[in-house]
Amino acid sequence: MDNYPTQPVHPPVSPEAGEPGGPEFLPLDPQVITLWRIQQLIGSAVLMGVLLIPLFVLVANVRGAFLPAAALWILIGLFRAFTFFWYPPRAYRAWGYRIDGKVLETRSGVWFRVVQLLPLSRLQHVDLHRGPIERSLGLASLSLHTAGTVQSAISIPGLEAGLATRLRDQLAAIGGDDAV
Amino acid sequence: MTGDPSDNPAPQPPPLPPVIPPGWNAGPGEAPPVIAPERVAPAAALFEGRLHPMTLAFSTWAVVQKFIIPFIVVLFLGRNQSFSALFFLLLLIIPIAVAVIRYFTFTYRIENGELVTAEGLFGRTERNIPLSRVQDIRIEQGLLHRLFDMADVRIETAGGRGPEASLSVLAKPEAERLRAAIFEQVSIARGTSPATQPQPVSQGHVIRTLSVRELVVAGLTSNQMASVLALLAVGFSLVDDLLPETAAERIGATLGRMAEELFSQGLETHWVQLLAGAFLLVAMGMIFSVTGSILLFYQFTLVRNGEDLHRSFGLLTRRSSSLPRRRIQVLKIEEKMLRRLFHLATLRADTAGSRPDQGEGGTSGHDVLLPAVPRDEVEQMLPEFFPDFERSEAEWKRVSRRAIRRGTAKGSLVCLVLAWGLWTVQEHWIALWPLALIPLVFVLNVLSYRHLGYWMGERFFCTRRGWLSRATHIVPIRNTQAVVIRQTPFDRRHRVATLIVDTAGQANTGGGPRIDNLPWNEALTVARTLARRAAETRYRWKDQADARPTLSHQQAQRFESPS
Repeated sequence: MDNYPTQPVHPPVSPEAGEPGGPEFLPLDPQVITLWRIQQLIGSAVLMGVLLIPLFVLVANVRGAFLPAAALWILIGLFRAFTFFWYPPRAYRAWGYRIDGKVLETRSGVWFRVVQLLPLSRLQHVDLHRGPIERSLGLASLSLHTAGTVQSAISIPGLEAGLATRLRDQLAAIGGDDAV
Repeated sequence: MTGDPSDNPAPQPPPLPPVIPPGWNAGPGEAPPVIAPERVAPAAALFEGRLHPMTLAFSTWAVVQKFIIPFIVVLFLGRNQSFSALFFLLLLIIPIAVAVIRYFTFTYRIENGELVTAEGLFGRTERNIPLSRVQDIRIEQGLLHRLFDMADVRIETAGGRGPEASLSVLAKPEAERLRAAIFEQVSIARGTSPATQPQPVSQGHVIRTLSVRELVVAGLTSNQMASVLALLAVGFSLVDDLLPETAAERIGATLGRMAEELFSQGLETHWVQLLAGAFLLVAMGMIFSVTGSILLFYQFTLVRNGEDLHRSFGLLTRRSSSLPRRRIQVLKIEEKMLRRLFHLATLRADTAGSRPDQGEGGTSGHDVLLPAVPRDEVEQMLPEFFPDFERSEAEWKRVSRRAIRRGTAKGSLVCLVLAWGLWTVQEHWIALWPLALIPLVFVLNVLSYRHLGYWMGERFFCTRRGWLSRATHIVPIRNTQAVVIRQTPFDRRHRVATLIVDTAGQANTGGGPRIDNLPWNEALTVARTLARRAAETRYRWKDQADARPTLSHQQAQRFESPS
């Protein structure tokens, strides 16, 4: 963490920055698909386990409840399995970010699309987070905090760890000192 | 994000204050204005003080007030009176001792562009508040304070949950002096020429005062029915608590008998009684809200004194608040249904330090910039709050026409479900009355569509929405913290999206500007333009020439209804 590479992460900004012809959106690290799948798997395991409790309660108290309850449980499990395979690649393709002049723009979401634009001079602070799973995959995520109320943090998940560090420094450098 | 090393100019001897004023912001190629050291706050404190000796009396009184009722109760009803008296005295001594220690150890001073407060007997706590970060200075005088010409001073910045410094109590002139000193220092630090330095309050420019008649109208048009109901509930619970159970039972029985009689007399009397009751309730509500309005806002004055927007109001408790106008993040022109009928508007402003009112006795009135003024006056006032408000001829832009279709579809669905529900209860054609509302739903949607819009200039972004009750938000683009576009799967079918402009502190204005049903591509363009302009303009405010542009006729019209 001592010697940051000094070259910019991104190609030089085009003069017509901000217009649709700005720089290309950059993808996340493809490893993020694995990360999301692992996270989903853990979430699914917890959810299915918790759902077992009402299932047992129901089965113990209501006669003939076993089949429908079990069917529902399996259905939820199947849905989770489906999204396990279906969702992460699409979420990965939907995710993109770019630095256009002094603005960071992210787009994401498969069903609910979200575009976030952050004037980098409004950046309050940046968190670089590396959880145990992220670390084992060589990933890191950035949280960009503003002084806003509705959307006070914008996060970019699944960046290659070195890139995340460089990006963080670059973002702060572009922003300068102009926050609240 | 406090110091960009590249911004730091020539080296400076360490004990001297920074050459760059705290609020100064370097544009590309601009040299920082070097201020002659003698004009910057000298190393010695400029302004020094302690709490007024009356603090002792006031805090003692506050403590006594808290304990007096239990004390009396225990003294007269308790068995071991001398013991309980002793116990209470001990209870009293601790908070009074704390207050005494606070009085003797608390000091404040202004030095090097900072307000420094220090307190504590064994562990000293010093707090430095950079003056350029002060968002709001509030001076409050309760009845007792006014009797002795004392005041509480609260200083707020963007951080934290409460006031950053609370000076209680100071002599009123001292409080005013402190307020003036803070503003003066801010403007000196910003390098304003002495000519534009704030003058004493009396020399400020009065933007608006409210007469008692206007306050009565404001009270009549405020929605305070809820508070009446709350009052009634409190009254009932009080009656419930105070009266012995037998009495409650007897009253209950009487009420029951009365109800029986009413029913036996037939429905007509019943309706008359009901109407009378409703009328009484409304009348009570009116009296209540008019009284509230006058108590809170009596002698309301809004004065602009240089950069300082100074409000003072209140009949019993006088409150005043100093808000640097550049701190306004969002301005909301609010026209609730009743007020809109009378062409009145409420102005609300948020600073980065705004947080929901948490006063015990209801609202403290700090959340409104102006309680109620005629709508046509607002346009003329805007340059007072935003000196660089544009004279652009731009028109309000409307959203996608699909908003009407979607809104009508949604409303019709509700009507259909309601009709179906009623039909299942009773299969009679009368049950289908909700269907008759569908044309009304359509008309309402057309009206609200016509009043929904946004407007973007070089420096300002405005949105407005609502037909029955309207809200207009004005955001200086430099205050934009982030722009977000959201699109639900339904939105995607119509190729529209919701645009949200995020700013700091949106407690008073109830959320910043937000526009639904904006065509996707337009939303992207608007969002990118906003974000780019925000990134290119400085957020931290730099002094501008104190010019007050007047509004053109067209600009004034922009805020009127489109019909």
